[in-house]
Amino acid sequence: MTSATKLRIEPKSNFWPYLLIAPALTVILLILGFPVFRLITLSFQQFGLAEIVSGIPTWIGFENYLALLKDPEFWIVLRRTFIFTFAMVAASIVIGAWLAHLMARMNSILRWLLNTTLILVWAIPALVGISIWKWMFSFEFSIITSTINRLGFDFAQRNWFTNTFSGFSIIGGVVVWGAVPFITISIYAALTQVPKELLEAAAIDGANSRQIFRSVILPILLPIYVILISLSIIWDFQVFTQIWVLLDNRPASEYYTMAIYAFEKSFGLSEYGMGAAIALLMIISLLGVTWFYIKKMVQIGDSNA
Amino acid sequence: MHKKSSIYANISGVFAIVFMGFPVYWMVTTSFKNRQDVLSTEPTILPRSFTIENYQNAFSREGFYASLRNSLIVVLITVAISLFIATFASVAIARTKFTGKRSFISSLLIVQMLPLSALIIPLFLLLTRLQLTNTIGGLALTYVAFILPFTIWTLRGFLANIPIDIEEAALVDGCTRVQAYRHVLLPLMAPGLVATAIFAFIQAWNEFLLAYIIMQSQENLTLPVWLAGFTTRTGTDWGPLMAASTVTAIPVVIFFSLIQKRIATGVTAGAVKG
Repeated sequence: MTSATKLRIEPKSNFWPYLLIAPALTVILLILGFPVFRLITLSFQQFGLAEIVSGIPTWIGFENYLALLKDPEFWIVLRRTFIFTFAMVAASIVIGAWLAHLMARMNSILRWLLNTTLILVWAIPALVGISIWKWMFSFEFSIITSTINRLGFDFAQRNWFTNTFSGFSIIGGVVVWGAVPFITISIYAALTQVPKELLEAAAIDGANSRQIFRSVILPILLPIYVILISLSIIWDFQVFTQIWVLLDNRPASEYYTMAIYAFEKSFGLSEYGMGAAIALLMIISLLGVTWFYIKKMVQIGDSNA
Repeated sequence: MHKKSSIYANISGVFAIVFMGFPVYWMVTTSFKNRQDVLSTEPTILPRSFTIENYQNAFSREGFYASLRNSLIVVLITVAISLFIATFASVAIARTKFTGKRSFISSLLIVQMLPLSALIIPLFLLLTRLQLTNTIGGLALTYVAFILPFTIWTLRGFLANIPIDIEEAALVDGCTRVQAYRHVLLPLMAPGLVATAIFAFIQAWNEFLLAYIIMQSQENLTLPVWLAGFTTRTGTDWGPLMAASTVTAIPVVIFFSLIQKRIATGVTAGAVKG
């Protein structure tokens, strides 16, 4: 920010900026900051309906955590969450990148059509997307089942969610379908920013297309990929609504991910302390996976200060 | 870097358009089918009937107008307040220096990655304590907090592109600081404010989880929560659900197409250029 350094309208007293950020800071601290703090204290408490009424929590130290770590279900849910997140991130990045690179070599009318379709899908509200997929895979009138049958297979009317593999594939399908447009359009935008002269120079120097990709295009795209992968991990790790609504607001325990598990413990069983412990472990695992991204965000904060 | 189009790319492109676009196509065509066609065990890709009865059915369903009204009110309050607050904060970040600015910016960026499904637990307890559950105000307050970081950051981006010399000229001409901001900076920020307002609108309009937890009584639902309630124990009315889904999606699609370019660059550009 070079313009900020030559600032002559810098006020003499230093209360101005604080006055300007005060409302924002107050709201963020109250609604985001305090809950983070409360989440931590809550995870060391026994906190249920009785405590909500009385307002007096019982401190129990690490008991919530110990109970969780000893509970085999916790480990199953954790593993399931990681696998599911990995699958969704991989699928959306691979498909998104593939489409972006295709777009660069497409006929311009098709490219416009694909771009328009992607923007349309991107704009569809999550709940609407979920409703559509629920309808496409409905029990009796599924267009998918009947299309498969028309291709010569013999699928009876089926509940796609009795089998957790097909169930998670559909949930993942909604998520990936909704995530691909943003990824494709971002990568395509980055691709169009690769300077033409650079590509020509590389070609004149005798680089083949693979070499050009590796040493010219990839270095320019890499930062975009890192950001997109980090964002996808952050988004996909906490997928809640897709699972919740596709399974009619009462997912069976085979469908629990960390987000659903924490939610069920808190709002289903009113064990808010336990729910908080799960949620906190969820945040910690997420921090571990996206450490690089966070460091980058702190850097950006520094360079803009 | 547009090479000549390749057959492989074109064929894959057609497949991509069909696969990505089909769900939306299926929603819209289903919404105009008559009941018999919707509930056919052998659905056809091309619609065989046309009727608007699904829309009539959806609109006359219990809670539609109430949830539409609630959604509009919450969204308008959220947009107005978050924009108002964010404008001040973004001016502070883009135009002034202060101790703690660094941590303020970093925390704005990091707070956005906190999983909502984790925060909802203490947040619910907090709102219960403040007696703000089941109130429009409580929901709007929560939305404002969740939308603020992105709004401040986006507005900061717009501000950074407005040359500071213009305000300085105003100051030299005898404006006070406040006047310089109000009469010079604010009009220049207008396009950024509009884009940010639309973004906030979309976020608040689409939000499900917070509304689901905070607004418990039937007359307080927002549209997404109302949509999620279409499936009852007796089954789902698919035709009206698709009609209601189409109606819910339309404002977002319109608004989104207006600002899509800015969002695409906004999310990644800040991160790449630094």
